Amino acid sequence: MEETAALAVPIFAFLFPILMSPVIMAAGRRSAQLRNALALATTAAVFLAVVSLYPIMMRGEIIQFTLFEILPQLEISIRVDLLSFSLAALASFVWLLCTIYSIDYMAREHAGSRYYPVLIFTLGSCQGIFMAGDFFTLFIFFELMSLIAYILVIHEETPQALKAGYKYLIMTIIGGLALFFGIIITFELAGTVSLAAGPLVRETSLLAFLAFISFLIGFGMKAGIFPLHVWLPDAHPVAPSPASALLSGIMLKTGAYGLLRMIFHVFTIDVIRAGGWDKVMGVIAVITILLGSAVALTQDDIKRRLAYSSIGQMGYILLGMSVLNEKALIGDVFHIFSHAFMKSALFLAAGAIIWKTGKRLVSEMAGIGREMPFTVGCFSVAALAMIGVPPLNGFLSKWTLGLGALESGQPFYVFVLLVSSLLNALYYLPIIVPAFFGGLEHEHGSGFNIREATPRMVAPIVILALSTLLFGLLPTNIPFDLAQLTATFLLRGGP
Amino acid sequence: MMVEHFPVLIIVLPLAGAFLMPLLARRQVKLCWPALLLILVLVLGMAVTLLWRLDSSGPYFYHLGGWPPPWGIELQVDFLRVYLLLVVLGLGLWIAVYAWRDLEHELKPELIGWYCALYALLIGSMAGIALTNDLFNLFVFMEICAIASCAVITIKETRECLEAGFKYLILSAMGTGCYLLAVALIYMVTGHLNFALVREALPEAAALYPNNVLAAAALIIVAFAVKAALFPLHVWLPDAHAAAPSPSSAVLSGVVIKIYAFALLILFYRVLPGSLLSAVPLNEVILWLSVLGIVFGSIFAMVQEDLKKMLAYSSIAQIGYVFLGIGLANRTALVGALYHLLNHGIMKALLFMAAGNIIHAAGLRRIKSLSGIGPKMPLTMLPFAVAGASMIGIPGTGGLIGKWFLALGALETGRLLIVIIIIAGSLLNAIYYLPIIINAYLNPLSEGVSFKPVPRLMTASLLAGAAAVIFFGVFSKPVVLLLERAVTGFF
Repeated sequence: MEETAALAVPIFAFLFPILMSPVIMAAGRRSAQLRNALALATTAAVFLAVVSLYPIMMRGEIIQFTLFEILPQLEISIRVDLLSFSLAALASFVWLLCTIYSIDYMAREHAGSRYYPVLIFTLGSCQGIFMAGDFFTLFIFFELMSLIAYILVIHEETPQALKAGYKYLIMTIIGGLALFFGIIITFELAGTVSLAAGPLVRETSLLAFLAFISFLIGFGMKAGIFPLHVWLPDAHPVAPSPASALLSGIMLKTGAYGLLRMIFHVFTIDVIRAGGWDKVMGVIAVITILLGSAVALTQDDIKRRLAYSSIGQMGYILLGMSVLNEKALIGDVFHIFSHAFMKSALFLAAGAIIWKTGKRLVSEMAGIGREMPFTVGCFSVAALAMIGVPPLNGFLSKWTLGLGALESGQPFYVFVLLVSSLLNALYYLPIIVPAFFGGLEHEHGSGFNIREATPRMVAPIVILALSTLLFGLLPTNIPFDLAQLTATFLLRGGP
Repeated sequence: MMVEHFPVLIIVLPLAGAFLMPLLARRQVKLCWPALLLILVLVLGMAVTLLWRLDSSGPYFYHLGGWPPPWGIELQVDFLRVYLLLVVLGLGLWIAVYAWRDLEHELKPELIGWYCALYALLIGSMAGIALTNDLFNLFVFMEICAIASCAVITIKETRECLEAGFKYLILSAMGTGCYLLAVALIYMVTGHLNFALVREALPEAAALYPNNVLAAAALIIVAFAVKAALFPLHVWLPDAHAAAPSPSSAVLSGVVIKIYAFALLILFYRVLPGSLLSAVPLNEVILWLSVLGIVFGSIFAMVQEDLKKMLAYSSIAQIGYVFLGIGLANRTALVGALYHLLNHGIMKALLFMAAGNIIHAAGLRRIKSLSGIGPKMPLTMLPFAVAGASMIGIPGTGGLIGKWFLALGALETGRLLIVIIIIAGSLLNAIYYLPIIINAYLNPLSEGVSFKPVPRLMTASLLAGAAAVIFFGVFSKPVVLLLERAVTGFF
């Protein structure tokens, strides 16, 4: 019984949302409420389905099976292991919260009947990425998600959004083609691209290096690492806020997920080290971290600032991958969790502020904390986590990453982490401090004048902000445990 | 048994139909299209039967009139030929269904009967090219095909159609002339016209008369490069395919240029001896010309303002992929080329049909003027988008599978540069297909555009095409297995 359930759940997790999206679109013609309810029910069902795999995952089992063959030796297959499970659970959780948030946020926007089906379809393809059993399946879902997410990016249909969307689309296609190149080289070298086949490429060669670079371009494009980040600061801010939260919080992580899969399934740590490719990643990571944080300083539009901050944070994840020891990997996977919570909370909070007051510029936000204490309070918690203030989760992930870097004798990376935390502080504190204590001179007094967004918008923000606190503090910390298990699982190697 | 004679019936039935069509048109014009469709369905059924029989009893030769070679004409029935036959007849039937409704509006009523005749002639001659095993017979079918193509371009008798048709006629005659000269040279040194016999005799003849054989090989390449619009001999194609009525463009771009690429493939690997190919780098020539075609076809397509012209230039790029497979000369690449041949046939015909729908409904041809028509014509623009995605090679569409095998074949021979070209070509496709789709869906409708309803059958054929693009992207395994069997004897 459990066996068949284990097989059915992954298929359900990606197929159900994809099948539901036309239903939701049809429902949208009848009534907006039915549409929203269906969307919410779908995300909740996916979340529950994914979570139901928890006991199987905790026993250390791996679900791997083939659905059907597209070409000889090239199949559509499913795999759920600890890494897939962690990310799939994270994604569906954040998706659920963002869908709840969307209900009120999108009520004012146009084209809701396009937004929800697309949102749900993206969830399905995102789950597909995490549950893909080979690189070809991963590639299919990756492209599907990226292309469909285009509709989220251009939702506003302003000239600015269309321009950002076009940039996004072209970069996505370039990334997809690079990925295609990498996959085909891997296939040529190994004769298969299955994740179950263990390390596919066991020695360095020119072809292997090209495959590595192609994967780095393909996945790195999505993850927004330097110099492939150019689409990100345009595309993420123009999307509706819940979509920005998902783009920055979850969809960036698909790139990181792909990179992890590449490191451990296409190659091995030894191959990566033998080729000196970890240094390539290290250099890129340092540039990405510093560049993302530094440019974020200069942005006045709050969502653009958050988008640049995402670039910096993805740099941390890449840094962990270049260090490649157990501590660093734990930090890496945990930072995927942390950043998802923090950045979604920030984007949702920023969205609530924009929704309520129409203010997008940081310089206009003085005193806003007294109007929207919950929202801005949560924003502050998440921002402090970004800076790395203990005991929030951002601190824990940076701490572990730093320990990993020290263990492998690279104190320079710790220095980079510290500098970037400082930079984070420099661009987040000027948002939150004036929000509470600024703007006194031309407002009437320092009293609270509460005009919060609706509860359905505030609740997801509060949950996300609380999780940044809880998952840094609690003794039984599920994401941290998962990160530890995943890291040991990946390092142990093999299928 | 009747089944024995299916190969010749597949060729003769459409040709005979073509002769009877004008008579039918005099009595009952309305019956012309149903009659044409009936013929096409019949021959398609025969081709499927041939495939089914091949699976059980293997390839065989059919001798016309019972005369064996070297005197008689031989038709060959093997997986490769039957695959091509199925592509030609399947696409031919599909496009004919579309053309039925479209041409009722586009052509004068008295021309319908003639168009049916020409269409049958075109399909019959292509079936002949697919099956024949004889150099001179190939020439005859090529001529029939060229004349029928020219006629379906010029049937509207507008100035630009006539000009394009004339250009096509001249260049195509040059191509066939080259080919005839090559056949003469080969016949001179070997005394044979049958493919297999020529192949046997050629190595010896090549040793005695190397110049004749080399000249023949060169002429063959030029002939088919002109016919299939391989860069830089493509100059006739954009005008011809853009000016023709939409169903003609679909069949010309989707099927006709492919059949010549296929003929070159057969001559290359079934007629010219391997020693010749290794002595003179003919493969390399084709390979690099196709690379140029992929790059420049796309670059020319980018600067076009007319939708159909853009599609025509895109065909030049896409035929480059087919030639790439021929030039790479290994089995994987060949499978890719043949798969792409099917796929590009579907998507390009689909795109031309969509263009036809747009012209029919709103009279729009300029790419810029298409803004905002997506929501107005969803059932036209959705298939257009699917075909565009397949051109780019988005996973889940047929376009990816062809490119996958081509790239894999290029990697097998260690040519990384070619893989990069294939990938860069996809990006170039993205650069000119995506803006059209985005523009159609997200920009406001230009003023003063009114929409006539499009006949249901036309829209239905578009949707069927879109379904086929996705079907061959997801369930590609049977076709690939068939193709792998088809190219076994080649290397």
